[in-house]
Amino acid sequence: MSDREFSVPIGPQHPALKEPASFLFKVDGEVVVNVEPRVGYNHRGIEKAMEARTYIQNLYITERVCGICSNAHQTNYCQTVEEVAGIKAPPRANYIRVFMSELERIHSHLLWVGVAAHEIGFDTLFYYVWRDREVVMDLLEMISGNRVNYAMNTIGGVRRDLSKDNFPKYHKMLDILGERTKFYANIATHEKTILDRAAGVGYLSKADMKRLCGVGPNARASGVDYDVRRDLPHLAYDEVPFNVITNDGGDVLANVLVRIGETIESVGMCKYVLDHLPEGPIREKFSPMAKVPEGEAVGYFEAQRGELVHYFQSRGDVKPYRYKIRAPTLGNIPSLAEKLKGGYIADIPIVLAGIDPCFSCTDRMVFVDEDKEKTWEMDGEQLRRYGIEWYK
Amino acid sequence: MILEELSSVVQVLIFPGVLFILAYSLFCNWVSRKWTARLQNRQGPLHTGWQGILQPLADVIKLLAKEDITPGGVTKLVFSASPLIIFAIPLAALFLIPIQSITNLWSYTPIASFEGDLIFVLFLLSIVILAIFLAGWSSANAFGAVGATRVAFMMLSYEIPLALAAIGPAIMAQSLRILNIVNWEAGSWNRFLAAPGIFGIALGGVMLVGFAIYIICLLAELEMRPFDMSEAETEIVHGWQVEFSGKKLALLTLGHNIKIVLASALLTSLYLGGASGPWPIPPIVWFVLKTVFCVLILSNLSALFARFRIDQLLKGAWKYLVPLSVLQMMAVVALTGLM
Repeated sequence: MSDREFSVPIGPQHPALKEPASFLFKVDGEVVVNVEPRVGYNHRGIEKAMEARTYIQNLYITERVCGICSNAHQTNYCQTVEEVAGIKAPPRANYIRVFMSELERIHSHLLWVGVAAHEIGFDTLFYYVWRDREVVMDLLEMISGNRVNYAMNTIGGVRRDLSKDNFPKYHKMLDILGERTKFYANIATHEKTILDRAAGVGYLSKADMKRLCGVGPNARASGVDYDVRRDLPHLAYDEVPFNVITNDGGDVLANVLVRIGETIESVGMCKYVLDHLPEGPIREKFSPMAKVPEGEAVGYFEAQRGELVHYFQSRGDVKPYRYKIRAPTLGNIPSLAEKLKGGYIADIPIVLAGIDPCFSCTDRMVFVDEDKEKTWEMDGEQLRRYGIEWYK
Repeated sequence: MILEELSSVVQVLIFPGVLFILAYSLFCNWVSRKWTARLQNRQGPLHTGWQGILQPLADVIKLLAKEDITPGGVTKLVFSASPLIIFAIPLAALFLIPIQSITNLWSYTPIASFEGDLIFVLFLLSIVILAIFLAGWSSANAFGAVGATRVAFMMLSYEIPLALAAIGPAIMAQSLRILNIVNWEAGSWNRFLAAPGIFGIALGGVMLVGFAIYIICLLAELEMRPFDMSEAETEIVHGWQVEFSGKKLALLTLGHNIKIVLASALLTSLYLGGASGPWPIPPIVWFVLKTVFCVLILSNLSALFARFRIDQLLKGAWKYLVPLSVLQMMAVVALTGLM
């Protein structure tokens, strides 16, 4: 480290971060030379807690992995367990799951646009976007009774049905959302100060993005044409038509455009689901104390922030033997660190926010030995033995 | 004799001196907050007094009651002195602005006035920036240091156009005394109304350009959006202010409010004819109306944009603002020569 460089810690507590994570920046004047990300401040032992609870209880734990992508985690949990249990959710349930997921995507992306505006100091846009986001929050509340944790899924289907009487109202609200999102797309592409702050900032090429395994809108903003909804179809995504939005910009502006584009697509998908909702039951029976046969499964789901991976292993008990969650933010951190290098301090918040980080999803038990520069993970059994050794 | 002395004490301490300026700066802060809030689809302050008009005062009182922490490792003298300087200097500079005479209801002699006081006010403004830089630098904090360097960089960008735009009216009034400039402006407006001519319109156009330059520079000077990168909360956590708390922060807040009043008072004095106006209404009313108008312009602009980066400000200022202000001054010189 030369004399001209000095360290600026961003986090664990910092206004640019909505959740604790630490980024140690080496800066030379205003230019970022290096960045050392460090996650793990928000570890809550979710996976371990899941091993001690029944499948129905775990519905509510998975939902609380994250406040924003609660439905994504829960839906993925359900489809993963269903795969091992051999239950097939009825088509109507799958459509309703798609509907909820897309509504959640709309609310999450609008939230993100507001946060991004706030990070570049454009509070007026922030307030306007969040006002319009209330429409989708109201819609979610009308359907599920909750604004955030909807508790819509259960193993084998969904818990609440959509009532046909309300469809005109839903259509009307979705129309408002689509219109307003198009208005914001127009602002994002024409407002001079936004372009000055977003275009060319935090650039990462397509090749680098592929090498660093970015996922979700972050990867699509660098031109990586990959979307779990299309490439690994689950739920009813192979029946609902939609376009995968990509952008070759690779910068923050591309991130904004991809997310706004996806929001508009999601509005269209929701409207399609309302028009083509199949009749039939909404769930298969799954008893609260039912045992799931031995087996394992990996569930993929396109959460708002990218590809969400759940791994589930059953040993024929009423509880899961092992449950592992890989949240999209973890996949995006290597590319984030690369994006930050060479930029300005002023761009740190917007680039950080650019991947829509969610650390409560991400933080898992990872061990880092700083002297040996080694990183490893421990499973439950190893950790137990480690603990016994430690206190001997 | 005693009456005269008494009146000058009242002038300095109460009206239009310290007390009035403090109260008025809090009022302007409320106007700015309320206006910005309504623009952003919010309510703004609501509960303290009518429409939350006492909220800025309540904020200051709250800060005064808070614990005043001096972190280890700071340069103590500079750290404690700089809030005082930042508070006192804009207050002192406002004594030079013509607001209202207390002996004559229809006159607006400032508390103190001398030839060259315009230069002195500009000098005081620079001293405030220097104090801000020292405050950030002395606070032994990475964010403070980054904020302080940003303040210094910003000063490099807007100082020259600010001075040039302020000198334009002085050239026309052929005086560096703010009172004379105000008098000249009031007179020239009346002369223009009596005999409108092409020169008058041209002069008005040039003045408008100067007004725009001045407003942009003042936005940077006041660290308001889109030029608030020195305290950008999402980047460097309020920058140079990060370590200040309690009474010191209260002084900084008050100092900032007074600086906004000073800036709008300078704008009105140099470009809008100061406290002068049609007869039956006393100067103080004109002063309040015009400064509130300037505060509204400033808060309107700051609600309208995203924050620029420091390099974008420097580039923009030297590429556009400085040449424009030089051209504007040349046009002023040419027009005064022709008239």
